[in-house]
Amino acid sequence: MKLPDLISTGWTEIRLHKMRSFLSVFAIAIGVATFFYTLSVLSQRYRDIGRAADIAGKGRIDVKVDYPLSLQQYHMLLNALPKGSSVSLETDAETDTISYKNKKLAGFILIGVLPTFQDSTFVYDIEGRFINWKDIENKHLVAVVTVYPREKDEERVHPLYFSSETADIILLSDFSKRVNLLNQQVMIGTLPFTVVGLLHAPPIEKDYRLPEDREYFLEVYLPYPVWYDISSLWRQDFSTRIRVVTGKDSNVRQAASILVSFLRSQFGAEFKPQLKFFQDTLRRYNREAWHGLKTMIFMGIVAMIAGGIGIMNVTMAIIFSRTKEIGIRRALGASRRDILFQFITEALLLGLCGAILGMAIGYISLLYMAEGTGQMTFSWWVVAASILIALTTSFFFALYPAYQAALLKPVNALKYE
Amino acid sequence: MVIRCEHLVKIYQTADAFRALDDVSLEVKKGEFVSIMGPSGCGKSTLLNILGLLDEPTNGEYFLNGAPTAHMKDSKRSQARWKNIGFIFQSFNLMPHLSVLENIALPMRYSNLPHKEILPRARELAIRIGLGDKLTNTPLQLSGGQCQRVACARALANRPNLILADEPTGNLDSKASTDILTLLQELNREGITIVMVTHDPQIAQGTHRTIYMKDGKIL
Repeated sequence: MKLPDLISTGWTEIRLHKMRSFLSVFAIAIGVATFFYTLSVLSQRYRDIGRAADIAGKGRIDVKVDYPLSLQQYHMLLNALPKGSSVSLETDAETDTISYKNKKLAGFILIGVLPTFQDSTFVYDIEGRFINWKDIENKHLVAVVTVYPREKDEERVHPLYFSSETADIILLSDFSKRVNLLNQQVMIGTLPFTVVGLLHAPPIEKDYRLPEDREYFLEVYLPYPVWYDISSLWRQDFSTRIRVVTGKDSNVRQAASILVSFLRSQFGAEFKPQLKFFQDTLRRYNREAWHGLKTMIFMGIVAMIAGGIGIMNVTMAIIFSRTKEIGIRRALGASRRDILFQFITEALLLGLCGAILGMAIGYISLLYMAEGTGQMTFSWWVVAASILIALTTSFFFALYPAYQAALLKPVNALKYE
Repeated sequence: MVIRCEHLVKIYQTADAFRALDDVSLEVKKGEFVSIMGPSGCGKSTLLNILGLLDEPTNGEYFLNGAPTAHMKDSKRSQARWKNIGFIFQSFNLMPHLSVLENIALPMRYSNLPHKEILPRARELAIRIGLGDKLTNTPLQLSGGQCQRVACARALANRPNLILADEPTGNLDSKASTDILTLLQELNREGITIVMVTHDPQIAQGTHRTIYMKDGKIL
């Protein structure tokens, strides 16, 4: 029997036994829905982790030291590291000393950076420019301010509110959304800084950095040596983050050893730096993603087995009620293989219907779960995998009853009433 | 020779090992119309099942169109069924949910006939048996005589050289019985060999030769 005939015959039988078919399809659908949802979430997690790894750059190492690092030390470290590596220095301090046109702006972190900051964890759109090497060498009094996207309900607030004399201190995060600070002068301490760039942060659902890489405070970036000079005005203790991006995962260990040797040479042999490897962070995220989904996968397997037993049960019942028909078909020329294929095709069609219904349920669940976060997960490989799981389950659970049907002797089947 | 049986024995393995066929030898030439008569349980249907390759004898040899059938694999037996044999049953054995057209087309689904030729040929056969206006009807919407006509058309679907009919008029009134016999005679005149089991002597009279059976033996 040819495939179109097998499909047509199978479909006719499914339509003739609607309730029986529906129950099988429903059982399969529940399993597929669970798998579809789980695989979609898993896929999204791995995609996010992959994107985060791309943003972070290959072979990233972070280390925090409680000492200031001079530019001379920076160059020494860069020269010692494997070729192609970049080093970013960041150092921060909370302060409330920014003012704009006599208006005090609060709620931000001042960060001293090198232009290499852009080599890792950079997702912003730049308006204007970022800090460059000229700013570093000449200690230009320039600043780059982060602007966070407005949230929906913020649109309704009248901009004039922020120019009201009644507000003594305004959050810079609110202010920078409404007043374009580009090329404006702000006072940091007693020094006038020109805002040369605005970094527009992506909306949260499009920020693919790992949560721990995201900055939740507003940042004001200054040239590293400028920060180094002025920070002593208000703060004695330093915390400098050294971020090394080697460009390759393969030379991370070598870079780490160089980094440790360098830090010990600078801060004493007793110094024990706590290196944080981005590869380890990724591994941890992958592990956490997998652990979180184990239970759901288990539930999916249980549901699929239940669905498969449903298919088996239905196929058995069909064979029992259609023994005579099997006899007639055999008399008319159907081989054992034809009968086997006929029942397997019917089961596969039930499985396919279950897959479609299951994916619809899974998709609605995803839409429901994505509401609020704006994150929508959908991959074609998940669709393919869901269909494959449904068809494989249907196939294996229909195999035994279909084989039993194929073994029926035509003469005995014909006598069956 | 279309059919040649040599010393066929069929024993059913029941408590008392029932001998349904006991040393049956039979020859049916090409173009013959043979009827088999005998009381119930004499082995008529068992013989017909063996001739139709639906069952296998316990002993003896059966040659279909000159070819031995004893060691045929299932696929070959199935192929021989759709290629050489058309079945007509007493209870029609039509698929109740399929239309007249689809019922006639069914044996062609198992043949190597190109897909696009199946329905046109089925339509042609339906017209020939006078049911051209009932192509979309299901068997439940037809009379007994019409159902048996559909079964005849189905038996002709793959243009076999042998038709095996197991009491084809058993469930029909006399008018319908006569119609079916006329149809079978017409097919026989076209060269198809027919072996028919019947209880009706009048129907048997319409065939070339009648074989009588009793207790599994040919008399």
